[in-house]
Amino acid sequence: MFTTQLLDVVTTAGVLYIVALGLLIVYGVLKIINLAHGAFLAVGAYAGVVTTGLGWNPWTALLVAFVIGVAGAALVEWRVLRGLYARPMDTILATWGLNIIVVQLITLYFGREIRFAESAIGRAVNIGGATYSEYRLVLLLLAVVLGVGVWLVMQRTQIGIVARAVIMNEELAQALGINTRLVRFVTFGLGAGLAALAGALLTPLVSVHPNLGVPWLINAFMLVLVAGVSLLNLALAALVLGGAQVLVSSYGNPVLGSLTIVILAVIILRFRTITI
Amino acid sequence: MRERWTDHRSRSLATLLVVLSVAMLPAGAVQSQDKGPIVIAVPVGLSGVNSVVAPAVVQSGELAVEEINAKGGVLGRKLQLVPLDDESGPAGAVKAFNTAIRQHKAHTIITMETSAARNAGAPIAERAKTLFIYTSFYEGRACGKSLFINAWVPEQIVPPLIKFMTDDKKVKKWFALGSDYAFGRGMIEAAKSTIKGVGGTILGEEYQPLQQSDWTAIISKIRAANPDGIIYSTSGGGPNIDFMKQFKAAGLKMPVGSLSIDELTAEAGGDAAEGVYYTGDYFTGLDNPENRKFLDAMRKKFGAGLKTPNSLSEPEYDGVYAYAMAVEKAGTTDVDKLVQVLPTIVFKGPRGQVQMNKQHHASLPVYLAQVQANGKTKVLKSFGLVDPGNQCPSLK
Repeated sequence: MFTTQLLDVVTTAGVLYIVALGLLIVYGVLKIINLAHGAFLAVGAYAGVVTTGLGWNPWTALLVAFVIGVAGAALVEWRVLRGLYARPMDTILATWGLNIIVVQLITLYFGREIRFAESAIGRAVNIGGATYSEYRLVLLLLAVVLGVGVWLVMQRTQIGIVARAVIMNEELAQALGINTRLVRFVTFGLGAGLAALAGALLTPLVSVHPNLGVPWLINAFMLVLVAGVSLLNLALAALVLGGAQVLVSSYGNPVLGSLTIVILAVIILRFRTITI
Repeated sequence: MRERWTDHRSRSLATLLVVLSVAMLPAGAVQSQDKGPIVIAVPVGLSGVNSVVAPAVVQSGELAVEEINAKGGVLGRKLQLVPLDDESGPAGAVKAFNTAIRQHKAHTIITMETSAARNAGAPIAERAKTLFIYTSFYEGRACGKSLFINAWVPEQIVPPLIKFMTDDKKVKKWFALGSDYAFGRGMIEAAKSTIKGVGGTILGEEYQPLQQSDWTAIISKIRAANPDGIIYSTSGGGPNIDFMKQFKAAGLKMPVGSLSIDELTAEAGGDAAEGVYYTGDYFTGLDNPENRKFLDAMRKKFGAGLKTPNSLSEPEYDGVYAYAMAVEKAGTTDVDKLVQVLPTIVFKGPRGQVQMNKQHHASLPVYLAQVQANGKTKVLKSFGLVDPGNQCPSLK
């Protein structure tokens, strides 16, 4: 029982981390909350439906989802968001509007009913005396890989240094000749690509329908509010909030459990004194 | 002009015209009522949560109307189907029922709706003295003088499933779970009382918020409790597949009975729901001549545009037939007479024999089915006609 619960906590944190990562990156560099994040999750999930429907290997769905996410985001950043950065409130409207449009386009083409995407892994494995879903363990591993990957990009590459400069002080970065427009463009594409990737990764866990992104968006939003712009904080937040949700659901009930993330987020925000 | 009207002859002519037209007006109205089409309104969720199933409901109604009209209609009059959007909720239902009755002069309302929409619409139909045949399975105990129901209530679906799993799958210790909403909880309550009745025990009972699609915590509780079998009732569609995918991936193997899955959902889930047992009154795989004829006719009429008939859409077909037969037998569309006649009507349709003679509800043929590896549903056996129990003791 103890092993199972420990695995529940860490794998739930892993799933939350994967889902929130794209949102955090966009928030860090662009200073906007991308409310179309849920729609990009759905796009990724439907990429899984289409690729496995064509008979391709389920893992290829990840690449397809990422590419579609980046391409869609590039178009949106270029035509819609670029003119709105000076008006942060309007970006909320624009991205939420985009969310509705994308969800409706998916509904028009695929219909409202649930769709089937093949899973890469459906087995359970024995780990530490407990039988556990292999896919959830793979997700945990992927969360670590993605986290370390993005961290390395931020720390060790030219793009990452430029992005960090923009995060810390955008005007100064601009004055130093950094093309902040390009940085925003690349970051939004990367964030949405990661969202679509997360959507494809969710399909073996949940059914695919146009609105699947909404509940995940809410949780990811809470995590990013708590974590600010730090990747490490996000991992910590996913572990604490996700873990609390699992434990309250296990020892109390799932209705209370689903409130836990929101309540803890409010408490943490109230007492968090260091602004990042 | 004004002077001309004071002229004696003109005025008497005008009077004559008025008298004549007034005398002819009711005659004309009566004639159009007797010879015009009999209007069947179908307020259904063309938008909102029911929009996945609503087109199939309309198609079932259209086929029944076409078949009846091809045989000369009812009392020499054609049937006319008027689909309306109830937006899957009470506010839309009020609009749709009023439009049906006032604008389309509907003689009857035959439809599948959400319970909230039905509760909002039924009093409107009752006040307007319009017969209302409700064709959706629901939680039970909706009663009205002119309200009839030809689909299942929990008393007909739950006990056969529990008894089958107890007797054939040797399930004694159960784990019950569902989505946290009225219908899900109601179905689990019905299941619990049956389980207690057959001497089983309930090791755990858990509900998950509607929005939450991660069942991890509940699945871990199932594992810890180690029951012989599972009974669950989520909200319709996706959550069934969410739960089953995660249940399977966790390596759990005990038999599962579902009170919320349906053929379309099971098929969309691929192999996710493989092995799940469920009961119902209609499956496309029912092997009887009426169902084969119904499915052939549906395929022929709608071709590639056919929405797969299901347990929420097929009763619309039965409902239209039952109404037509009642009008034919009563010789009128008058609601007071139809309320007397309708319970005597027996229609043998794709589901089997349906008669709304149990306090405005129907004893229904109930079948046991199991989801196969490809997501298709296979009918395993029939429980025969199952009584709805005491739904409306104040009605006959």
